[in-house]
Amino acid sequence: MKKILALLLAALMVLSLAACGGGSSAPAAEAPAAEAPAAEEPAAEAPAAEEPAAAASEITLWTYPIGNWGNAETVDALMADFEAATGIKVTVEYLDYTNGDDQVNSNLEGGGAPDLIMEGPERLVANWGAKGYMVDISDLWDDTDKAEVNPACVAACFTADGACYEYPVVMTAHCMAINYDAFVEAGADQYVDLESHTWTTEQFTQAVKALYDHFGGTVAAVFCGGQGGDQGTRALINNLYGGTFTNAEHTAYTADSEENVKALELLKGMDGIDFDAGIVGGDEIALFYNETLKMAFCWNIAQQLNPNSAGTGEELTLNGQKIEFMSFPSETGESALQGGIWGFGIFDNGDPAKIEAAKTFIKYFCDGEGTAAAVKAANYFAVRDTAEGIDLSGIWADNAIMKEYTKLMPYLGDYYQVTAGWATARTEWWNMLQRIGSGGDIAEEVAVFVTNANAAAAAEA
Amino acid sequence: MRKSSSGMSRALVRRETTAGYLFLLPSLFFFIVFVIYPMFMCIYTSLFDSNMGKNTVDVFIGLDNYKELFQDQIFLRALKNTIVIVVVSVPTVCAFSLWVASAIYDMHPAFTSAFRCIFYLPVVTGSVAVTVVWKWMYNNYYGIFNYLLKGAGVIENNINWLGDARYALWCIILILFTTSVGQPIVLYVSALGNVDKTLVEAAEVDGATKTQVFWKVKWAQIMPTTLYILVITTINSFQCFALIQLLTSGGPNHSTDTVMYYIYYTAFKLYRFGYGNAMGVVLMVIIAILSAIQFKLGQTDS
Repeated sequence: MKKILALLLAALMVLSLAACGGGSSAPAAEAPAAEAPAAEEPAAEAPAAEEPAAAASEITLWTYPIGNWGNAETVDALMADFEAATGIKVTVEYLDYTNGDDQVNSNLEGGGAPDLIMEGPERLVANWGAKGYMVDISDLWDDTDKAEVNPACVAACFTADGACYEYPVVMTAHCMAINYDAFVEAGADQYVDLESHTWTTEQFTQAVKALYDHFGGTVAAVFCGGQGGDQGTRALINNLYGGTFTNAEHTAYTADSEENVKALELLKGMDGIDFDAGIVGGDEIALFYNETLKMAFCWNIAQQLNPNSAGTGEELTLNGQKIEFMSFPSETGESALQGGIWGFGIFDNGDPAKIEAAKTFIKYFCDGEGTAAAVKAANYFAVRDTAEGIDLSGIWADNAIMKEYTKLMPYLGDYYQVTAGWATARTEWWNMLQRIGSGGDIAEEVAVFVTNANAAAAAEA
Repeated sequence: MRKSSSGMSRALVRRETTAGYLFLLPSLFFFIVFVIYPMFMCIYTSLFDSNMGKNTVDVFIGLDNYKELFQDQIFLRALKNTIVIVVVSVPTVCAFSLWVASAIYDMHPAFTSAFRCIFYLPVVTGSVAVTVVWKWMYNNYYGIFNYLLKGAGVIENNINWLGDARYALWCIILILFTTSVGQPIVLYVSALGNVDKTLVEAAEVDGATKTQVFWKVKWAQIMPTTLYILVITTINSFQCFALIQLLTSGGPNHSTDTVMYYIYYTAFKLYRFGYGNAMGVVLMVIIAILSAIQFKLGQTDS
């Protein structure tokens, strides 16, 4: 009796443990088969020759708040249209930029990743793709697609060896914003050109001085409490004197250049500019929106259409003051703006049917009948003018703000976020700004940043 | 039929033992799966260079993670910050709770209940909500602390409470203090209410002063509660994570990093799982030693 009981208990324990571990072991066994075509044939000709798997009837999508792709009402309508067209039901989960990465990473390690994810190449290509979690979707591209999609977007979504881990759908250029009424009150409006939305470093410096002399306090903040919105501080510092963040090949970080050191010295020495380790990009937007700050470095068209996501009116602060978007200042006035590219990627969960359904989803929303609605929902610009013959060039023809914002699009700069070691580089960046803000030597601190970021790049390369 | 020393038959003992183990089984299952197994995995992984990646292979590196740990200035700073938090918050929480409980436990029951509710509110309020309110109060630009201090002429310029390395850790400790005192106050009020009144009266008849009654009679009787409060406050202080993640992300310049936060940072921001696990093992050893000391003290006193 005792032996039987002991045996039963032992069997129960083993089964329980096996059940807990089962979730990860099954996909692991299937993974090589799913990966094999991608590894052997980057151009993905081999899978096409085989019998394609039947598409699954249900898939999951996780999306970051990319415009209204973070809004359940909007997304539900898009998913209903997709289900009506294809018969595939999509379950959507919404991520935020504070904890979204942790959520995805935990699920990747635990074997619970979604089938589809919507974000940019810095995550899909440079991070999860490089780590082997994404499906190569280069088979979704033909020559027409490559010709139609913005070349910078194509370059960002493909790896050097020809694998594609993201199909882009929208793009924008990140910029900065000014409180134009405050500029007028301080007499700083003379330094901005609202026709071109550009200005020089000298004009920016004069404007900050005029605002500080008039209002006192903090005119603008080099926020560095975390990585949120860090594209703004990078673009500001890189543009002031023409510095770069990485080399053109995206193999090394170059933020320790003389130009960047000069820019940091300028900002550190300016009255009215504070290095604020107590806030991140979202906080800065809120402070700009409530008129505490007169400039915001974390801005784009989505904010211009709906400042602080508050729903209180386009291009207006909390109390109705006018917001103008501006390019980042540079010596010539022509800056290299940080691009934002968003699209879909597929996690390799080892289920060919789900991968097939996810590809159908991507085709529908990135190059098909759902593309116009997907672009509209994102509040950004389409990465292509036509999708399977459907004209997308007039999507925003009826929106004067979007039309005006297109003036910044020619300044779209290098999409360097796909450089190896990106996650570490981002973390090192705001830590570096914190050290400079608390009195660290600028040249030394940027050197530390570059050393650590390049070490991470070398480790991942 | 053979009998055990307690007079029960062996069959009965066996039946009761079996039943006991069966009742234990569900808890044992969860304990093994969610505590023992992860603990051993943590120790095991800490010996590898383990990073995130579907096709990456963990490389055995022995104790290299531990060697690196004690040369890592950020980890040492995080350890120092954690110790500061524990050393400052544990005695202050205990002393303040005892003081408040002493003042309110013999009030009219309605007042005692009201005070208990007030002090317990931050405990039952969600940590995110509490943090958001404190973030407003600490705000560099429109926070109430700067407003009051400037109004009173104490400061000339706004202080960036959470963005200045000189103040940030103390701001965290203050929030931790307010969220930690609720439970000890409730426990002390209850413990003081259960102190044997006959002993107190006897001491008073013998001419003991109020201070003597407190330290010689009441303090001894509430010692088990004190030990429990010391243990839970110490563990809470070691586990200080959410406040830091929501308020400072360990900054500025790692001045508010704690070991718990640095484990998260290393594992989820830098994807160095092996290194993060090595930190977890070190933290486990520290907490185990402290807990052993506290249990030993508890045994001595009981």
